[in-house]
Amino acid sequence: MKLRWTKTTLLLAPATVLAALLFVYPVFGVLKLSVHDGTAFTTDALRQVYNSQLSIIVLQRTFVTAATVTGICLVMGYPMAYFMAGLSPRKRVLATYLILLPFWISILVRTYTWIILLGREGILNKALAALGLTAEPVQLLYTPMAVHIGMVQILLPIVILTCLTSILDVERDLVKAARSLGASPRQAFWKVVFPLSVSGAATGGIICFILCLGFYVTPTLLGGRTSTLIANLIDLQVHKTLKWDLAAVMASTLLAATFSCLLAYWALTRKRSEFATGGLAR
Amino acid sequence: MTRAVLTAYFVLVASFLLLPLFFLVPISLTDSQFLEFPPKSLSLRWYREFFVDQSWVDATLASLKIGVGATILSLLFGTLASVALVRADFRAKGLLTAIFIAPLIIPSVVIALALYIVFLRWQLVNNIYALTLVHALIALPYVVMIVSGSLRRYDMTIERAARVLGAGPTRAFLYTTLPYLMPAMFASAILAFFASFDELIITLFISGGLQTLPVRIWNDLSLKLDPTVPAVAVMLTLLSIVGMTVGEIVRRRNERRYQSNSVSEA
Repeated sequence: MKLRWTKTTLLLAPATVLAALLFVYPVFGVLKLSVHDGTAFTTDALRQVYNSQLSIIVLQRTFVTAATVTGICLVMGYPMAYFMAGLSPRKRVLATYLILLPFWISILVRTYTWIILLGREGILNKALAALGLTAEPVQLLYTPMAVHIGMVQILLPIVILTCLTSILDVERDLVKAARSLGASPRQAFWKVVFPLSVSGAATGGIICFILCLGFYVTPTLLGGRTSTLIANLIDLQVHKTLKWDLAAVMASTLLAATFSCLLAYWALTRKRSEFATGGLAR
Repeated sequence: MTRAVLTAYFVLVASFLLLPLFFLVPISLTDSQFLEFPPKSLSLRWYREFFVDQSWVDATLASLKIGVGATILSLLFGTLASVALVRADFRAKGLLTAIFIAPLIIPSVVIALALYIVFLRWQLVNNIYALTLVHALIALPYVVMIVSGSLRRYDMTIERAARVLGAGPTRAFLYTTLPYLMPAMFASAILAFFASFDELIITLFISGGLQTLPVRIWNDLSLKLDPTVPAVAVMLTLLSIVGMTVGEIVRRRNERRYQSNSVSEA
């Protein structure tokens, strides 16, 4: 049943107007502000940002943090997903629910808990002292480590679930075939399941990486001065130093990075679907 | 052997993920001025504090108003758009879908900055209606993804049957397809509501003096650490767990119903 174009236009109009006014137009404004000072095109802001040591350090830190957190999530998440894939469907639903539960708790709340846990007078320090392991409180909060812990806790469920989907997509018969041809369970895993699910896991990794790039709450609450990320710097430029053009350059950089990651994501998913229909899955 | 190791590993990581819940509840129940774990004596003192403090109540009411408004708008706009995206053929389809979903992927701080700049010009900072529209935009991706996904799986013969039996296009849609979409719409409404209810960064940039609940928590965090925040956090968490669980149950039940239908037909 095909719709006529007048009807299509009417159906799409409200959402399109909303997105155009409050998303597309403003975001283009930011892109323009980064290369245009209101009267003419200029590379002033660009040069200021890319010649400033602070913003380069923060940009680098943002990418390194995102890569590290993504790596940790993948290494922690894949075995979780593998375990869940082996469960009976009923138990798997329950396990998925358990993994998703923290995902539904406000990020603010989840981050806040780490303040209570890792603080100088926090639960962990008290426990360590009570066990006689430390003489005085260890600095745990306001360190890069605290930021990493907080980010992994928030992003891990997403990575686990994408890994789970990609493992479940692997045809069971292929594993059976490998086993009946004499492969040990370990061999069947490393030669069949892992190679066939790794690109699916990678797409989860890309999503995780993109989300990491924009983190604001966690580095603000759990990080010290040495864990400022790009989102915090944008906030600073807007609210403290009032240099919107510099903030716009940083936001545009963030956008460009997000977009490149999305391109990688599309390339990967396209390859995957070709792979699946290329005779291997059937 | 490896299975046992994996099970132990699963329990370990799952507890890491659930850690907040283990500690928040006892801490929120303390009778003391300070955050302490384990609490020396239990009371609901900080829960009472929340309901007595006008600024907390106001922030909650603001969040509820904005959340409900954003949910209704995004549900309406998103469902209409989904029908067109799934059933019509036009060239900009891929682009439009990408634009509707993008607010979910683009870092919030970019959208926050972009909106802050135009809202200052349009004098919309500190405007609850503008904020509601922005939250509707944030919630739109969930509606578009879930409703169009559900619509794509829908068996069109049912609607065609209604048309053959003499119903007009609108009537046929309202009486056959819409009931089928209800659970998906319900599920996406819940996600939309929480997307709005939890939104912090964009609201922080464009809300001016207006405080939503997350903004109120945020302001409290930078000032002092009294146990009102854990109490609020526990209530928020309960609310989202109940909401999401109900949404998930409705979605699953419906999926099963339509699946078993098509199986029995085949």
